[in-house]
Amino acid sequence: MKNLFKKIIQYYLKLLTRLILWRHKPYIIAVSGSTNKTTVKDYILKFLREKYGEKEVRGNPKSYNTEIGLPLAILYLDSGESSAVKWLKVLLQAKMRALFGRKFPKKLVLELGVEERGDMKPLLEMVRPNVAIITNIEGSYTYSNSSLEQIFGEMKLLTESVPEDGYILLSSDDERVKSLAKFAKAKVITYGFGEEADARAEDFRADAHGQTFNFVFQDKKEAVRIKKYGRHFILAWMAAKVTKSII
Amino acid sequence: MELRASRIPGVISLAQGVPSFDTPDAIKNAAIEAIQKGKVAKYSLAPGTLEFRETIAQHLERENKFFDFENEIIATAGSIEAITATLLAILEPGDEVLIPDPTYTSYQPAIKVARGVPVFVSLDEENHWALDIEKFEKLITPRTKAFLFCNPNNPTGTVFSRNQLHALAQLAIKHNLYIMSDEVYKDFVYFENQGSTFPLSDKSSNSSRSNLQLYSLAELRGIRDRLIYIFSFSKAYAMTGWRIAFLATHQELAKKILAVHDALVTCAPVVSQYAGMAALELANEDVLRFKEYFQKRRDFTCKRLDKLNHVFKYQKPNSSYFVFPRIKEEMLRKIAPNGGSRQFAIELLKKAKVATVPGSAFGPSGENHVRMCFGRSEEDINTAFDRMEKFFNEQGTKINNQ
Repeated sequence: MKNLFKKIIQYYLKLLTRLILWRHKPYIIAVSGSTNKTTVKDYILKFLREKYGEKEVRGNPKSYNTEIGLPLAILYLDSGESSAVKWLKVLLQAKMRALFGRKFPKKLVLELGVEERGDMKPLLEMVRPNVAIITNIEGSYTYSNSSLEQIFGEMKLLTESVPEDGYILLSSDDERVKSLAKFAKAKVITYGFGEEADARAEDFRADAHGQTFNFVFQDKKEAVRIKKYGRHFILAWMAAKVTKSII
Repeated sequence: MELRASRIPGVISLAQGVPSFDTPDAIKNAAIEAIQKGKVAKYSLAPGTLEFRETIAQHLERENKFFDFENEIIATAGSIEAITATLLAILEPGDEVLIPDPTYTSYQPAIKVARGVPVFVSLDEENHWALDIEKFEKLITPRTKAFLFCNPNNPTGTVFSRNQLHALAQLAIKHNLYIMSDEVYKDFVYFENQGSTFPLSDKSSNSSRSNLQLYSLAELRGIRDRLIYIFSFSKAYAMTGWRIAFLATHQELAKKILAVHDALVTCAPVVSQYAGMAALELANEDVLRFKEYFQKRRDFTCKRLDKLNHVFKYQKPNSSYFVFPRIKEEMLRKIAPNGGSRQFAIELLKKAKVATVPGSAFGPSGENHVRMCFGRSEEDINTAFDRMEKFFNEQGTKINNQ
C-alpha cells in the first residue's frame, strides 16, 4: 500500500515536473557524481547569481536530488515526509504551479543523486541538461569495483543525454570520469590538477587560512584563495568558474 | 554503580548518562532502508563512507568549523574509540595528558590504555567549575603531550568560555601540545537572558551574548594542526547503542590516527554511519525537542534540589543533562561516616533505591559530590527525589519546604 502510494506520488510529480519545464524551458545545469555535488552546485549558484541576479538562478534545496526529491526541487516544494495528507497537499500545490505558475528561474542548477544502477534514467526522463558536470566516481567500500562500474554506466547515460550545443565538464583527476568523454555529443571541457586538464589548478598551497592556487583556463591565469580545506573545494570552484564562463 | 543498581529490584537510576528518548524515526528509517538496499553488509573505507564524511563536513561548516572530508574526518565507533585511537597515536609510554578535575570518568582508563599518565587539573568550583589556566600551566612538564577535556563538561555541566579556551590554545602552542576537544553535549546548552546560569567569569567580564554561546576551539584556524575535535551522536540524537561518532583533525595527524583506528575496528559500523548521516540531515528538530525537554527537566530537578538544601549545595548547570551537587558535610558525616561520596551513593542506592554516581569517580575534586542525570523521564526524576526526601527525613532531618 505504502509502495503503491509512493509510486502514484512519483508518477504525478514526474508528470508535473515535465509540464513546468516544458512551459518555462529553463537552462539546466546538472551536477552528478559520487561526492562533491553540493559544493559544486553551491559555487555555481554563487557565480551565476553574481552574473544573472538572485531570482534568475535556483538550485536544489536540502538533498532533493532523487526521483522524488528532484521534482520537489524543480517545483520548489517541501517534502510531505511520511504524511499522506501532506503529500496530497504537495500534489495540489505542484499542480497549481505546473499549470498556472508564472514566475520561474531562467537557470536551474540541479544535483542528480545516483547511488545504483537504474537511478539516472528516471531523472533524465524529467530533465534534459544543457550542461552536465561529473565530479567523480568513487566508492565508499573496500573492494567496490563492480558497483563503481554500475555508477559509470549511469554517468554514461548522463553524458549521452547532453545535446551537441551543450557542454560536459569532466574531472580529469578521475580516470573513470575522464574516459566518459568518448560518449559525449556535446563539447567536453576537463578540469583538474593535472597538466592535461583544459581548466587546471597550479601552485596549490594550504596554510592556516585555507588554500591558494592559480586557476588557468583559456590562456588566462587567476590567483585564488579559498578559506576552506580540501582539494574538492578547488575542483568545485573550478567547475563552477568554467560553467560561469561558458554560459 | 550502574551494575550494582541493576541487581536491586525497583531502583530508579539517575546514574547512567543515557537520554530517556528513543532514536528519532527518520534515523531509524534511513538505517532500515540502508539495510534493505544491501548497503551495510560490507566494510566501508576505514575512515567511513564518503557520503557520511561529506555530510559531516557540510554540517561542521555551518558551525564555522572547516575540515577536508576526504582527509581530515574519521567516523569512529563512539567517541571513546576516537579518544583512545587518538591517544594511542600521539602518546609514547609515560607521556602525560592533562584532564580537568572533575571530568568524564572514561578519560583516565583511555589514557592508561595508551600507556600514558592522566594528570588532573582541578577546576574552580567557586567559579562554576571554570578552567584555571594558571593551574594548567603549572602542571605542564616536558612529558606533557595533550589536553583532553569535554566542553560542555561532564559531570558539572559547565560551558567553558571563549577566553578560557583561547588561553588554553595559547598554552598548547607555547608548549607544543595537542588539544582534544570532546563536544558530545554541545547541542544541549541552556542559555538564558539573565540569571545565575552563566559561568561567573563571563558575568563579571560583561561579555556580549555572542561570548556566551558555546564556542569550540575547532573554529580557531591557528591551532588546526594540533586540535582534535570529537563529536558523538550518542547523546544529541539518542543513539548511545549505535556506537557512532567522528573526529576531525589536520590531515597529517588524521593519517596517524587512522592507522590505529583501522587496527582497532577496521571501520565504524556501516549501518550506524547511514544512521548518523540521516541524523545530520533529518533530525535537527528532534535535537531541539530533546533540548527543550532537558531544559525543563533541569529546572524541575533544580527545584527538587532546592527542597533538599540541607543535604546538597549545587550550581545550576548551563548544559548537558547532569547536575553535580556537593553533599553538605554534616549530612555526609551522618550517612557515610568514613566512606565519602562513594559510601554516600551506596547508602542512597541501598536505602532509597536511587542510583547516582559518586563524585570521586570523576577525579579528586569530585569527592563529596554526586552526579545526577536529568536525562531520565520526569516521572523517574520525581520518584527518585520523593525517595531521597523520604530517606533524608528518616535520617532525622527536616525538609526545608521554602
